[in-house]
This record gives sequence, structure tokens and C-alpha cells, in this order.
Amino acid sequence: MGLWRQTWLLFASELRQELRSFEVVATAAFYSLVMLALFALSLGVLPRDAQVAAAPGALWLSVAFVGALTLTRVFDREREADTLRALLCAPVQRLAIYFAKGALVLVVLAVAVAVLVPGLALLFPAASALLERPWLTAGLVLLGCIGYVAVGTLFAAGLATSGGKNVLIAVILYPLTTPVLMLNLVATRALLEHHPDVNAYLGRLAAVDVILVGVGAWLFESLLVGAVGTRRRRA
Amino acid sequence: MTASIIPLEARKIAQRFGRKVVLRAVDLELQAGEVVGLIGANGAGKTTLFSILTGLMQPDSGSLRLGGSFLEDLDLGARARLAYVAHGVQLYPGLSARENLELYAALRAAAGASTLASAEVLARFGLAEAAEGRVSAFSRGMGQRLALARAVAGAPELLILDEPFTALDRAGRELLVEVLAEERARGAAVLLSSHDHAMLVRIADRVVSLERGVIAGEVRRDDASELGEGSFAARAAALWSGAEATEG
Repeated sequence: MGLWRQTWLLFASELRQELRSFEVVATAAFYSLVMLALFALSLGVLPRDAQVAAAPGALWLSVAFVGALTLTRVFDREREADTLRALLCAPVQRLAIYFAKGALVLVVLAVAVAVLVPGLALLFPAASALLERPWLTAGLVLLGCIGYVAVGTLFAAGLATSGGKNVLIAVILYPLTTPVLMLNLVATRALLEHHPDVNAYLGRLAAVDVILVGVGAWLFESLLVGAVGTRRRRA
Repeated sequence: MTASIIPLEARKIAQRFGRKVVLRAVDLELQAGEVVGLIGANGAGKTTLFSILTGLMQPDSGSLRLGGSFLEDLDLGARARLAYVAHGVQLYPGLSARENLELYAALRAAAGASTLASAEVLARFGLAEAAEGRVSAFSRGMGQRLALARAVAGAPELLILDEPFTALDRAGRELLVEVLAEERARGAAVLLSSHDHAMLVRIADRVVSLERGVIAGEVRRDDASELGEGSFAARAAALWSGAEATEG
């Protein structure tokens, strides 16, 4: 109970600060619109078959860029105020920090996706399945974002406390999240193609999410304070 | 019941960053009800040592025990008895002073630890009128007061302060001396670093010097009292001169 209570407290505090400034949410939404505009200009005249192939890529590429931007800014705030180190000194479970940060990034990505999905469905008529099956789309996108957030939050936090430069978030994040994004892309394409086993893709996404969140939770404290190998260092 | 985290016993703490050896073999002990001042030149390793003592950094070698237990073995309840005020205030700028305190109070409550009421603590540190103000609008001194208030609100057993007199006005400095005396009377162990010799000598029971990665000297108030009034300050000043002579 303590873990979830602390997770909620930290998440609520983050959300309160974000609702007062709208800095990250507004940036994510605006960036999503920019991506849509670029896709409209460059890919808007694609034939139908090509639209089915292009729409998933456009969606998850946008999520990747918005996600990197969000993670950078969320942890920039921590770095500027050095509040993450204060939390590490406090009687706060490290996992609560991981889950709270991840939840905030997920909320921001949800706002971005709320702009991207209808926008892409308008841009690419062949992608209208995204809106025709809203619950399936919502589930797929949510599961896809969870996997991305699980990896991104882990490494963004590590860089924030180690003094790593912001640019490293993008450099490290893209290769590490590519497998998740590719799986998301394949699942989205299956949805657009009305694949009979699209639910199986959701099952795979959920399984991957469980693994990624589990690994992220396991590694989080180590990445933050180098706890791995501590016991070997006792004199 | 969570065991006490005092005494603090650091043995042969060593830390290097690349080729630079910051701490060689630091031995340090803190007992309940004492205030220890840590002095050293810029770059002597004081902040690094504090990071290790608070668990923010793992030393390359050495051992650290709090109340007989290794730091990493302490549960949340024990960690709640440790408070650290870093050189930066580490406050959420988008929250008010009250919200900053209440967040930490709620986090501590979730860990089974109690905290003084935020209104009481804010009033103690002269921030009652600024309670609803956003921390982003605070002066550095006000932020420092709030950071100190947050640390003291948890009634810690071990209080570690990195240059706490920084940015405080005269009233703030006097207040901090009062607060530290109260903490000592309550039985807390206090370790603080400062370049403000005069304030440090007023409050510390013991002053230790960090030079070239080791604790190089120590002056105790009790020892000095036998030599007459003012001797503690004089001996601390001599220790200070030696420590700062190693700068650069």
C-alpha cells in the first residue's frame, strides 16, 4: 500500500505542476500537430495500399519524437531543481518515483495520441479503421505507449541523476525503444489491415509490457544510485 | 520498531572520479546530541562525502553504518530519520511552500513516519506569510529556509547540512543556530559544512577538517574549555587556516 500511495502522491504532484503551466502537454500537442502537417504535405497523396503501410509508421514515429521531447523536459525540471536527489534522500520507495514519472509521461503521450490518431485517420482515409474500432485502437495505442514509457523513463531518470547531457536521452532512447516501436507498428498495421488475429497482437504487446515494466522496475534503483554491487564494497 | 540510525560510523570511505581521488580514507563518527562542523577547502570533497553518507552515491570502498546497520539495509522507517539539506534547495518551483512541505509529509506518512504540521514549521522558519507563494518566486534565502524547514519537520535523528548558512540573512543565521541547538537538545546528531567560521564555532561541539581526502584534524569544544574561554574558536581558526591552505 505504501508504494502505491507514494506513487499516487508523486504523480498527483507532477500533474498539479503540469496543469499550472501546461508546458509539456502544450508542447507535445503542438509537436503532434507539426508532425501531422509534415505528413500531410509529404505523404498525403499516397495510394490506399501505401497509406496502410505509412500510417502506422507515422503514428509511432511521432510518438517516438514526442516521447523523447516529453522525457527530456520532465526530467529537465527535476535536474534544474535537483528534486530527484531530494526524493532519493527521503523515505520514498524508488519504484514510486519510476511509476509516478512513467504515469506522467504516459498521460502526456495520451494527449499527443489523442491529436495524432484522428489526424492520421483524416490524412490517410485507409487508416479510418483507427476510428472505426476505437476501443481496439485505444488498447493498442495504450499498450504500445506503456512499453515505450517503461524503457524511456528508466534511462531518462538515470541520465538526470548522473549529470548526463540532455542530448543523450535521444541518443540512448531511440535504439533502445526501436524494438518496442517496431512491435507497435506491426500491431497497428494488423489493425488497419483488419487482420483476423489482431487480438493476438494486443496479447503480445501486453506480454512485452509486463516484461519491460518488470525489468525497468528491477533496474531503476541501480541506475539511479548504483546499488548493484553495493554489498561487495563493504570494508 | 525501526531501530535508531545513530551513531553514524564511516570507516575508510574512499571515492575517486576518474583519476582524481576525492576521498582517500575518511573515518568519521557522529553520536546523538552532538553538532559536528566539517570544514575544508573548495573541492576538498565535503559534498561528495555528504552524498555518500546520505546514500546518494556509493563509495568505491569503505563502510558506512547507521545505528549499527549498513545504509543499504535500512528500511524506509529508518531512512525517514535521516534528513539532508543539500547546497541547492531542491524544492519544487511549481508548488507553494506549503505544498512542498505537505508533499513530503504525505510521503513520509506513507512510509509510516510522522511530520510536524506544515503551518507550525513554516511559522518557525519565518515563512508563514509566504506559505501560499510559489517557490519559483522565492528568494534564495527564503528557499534555504524552506529547505531547512522541510528537513527539521521530520524530527530527524541525523541531520546533514551542506553549507546551510548560504544565502541566509542575519536573522536567518541566528534562527538556524537556534534550531540546531534545539535539535541537539532533542538528541539529534548534526553534521554541517560551512565556510562561515563564526557561525560554525558558535554551534559546533566539534570541528573536523577534511584535507587531501582524509579527516586531517579535529577540535573539540570540551577539550578547549579547559584552556579557557575562546580557545575553541582559536583552535578551530587554526584548523581552518590549515584546511584552506590546501586549496588548489
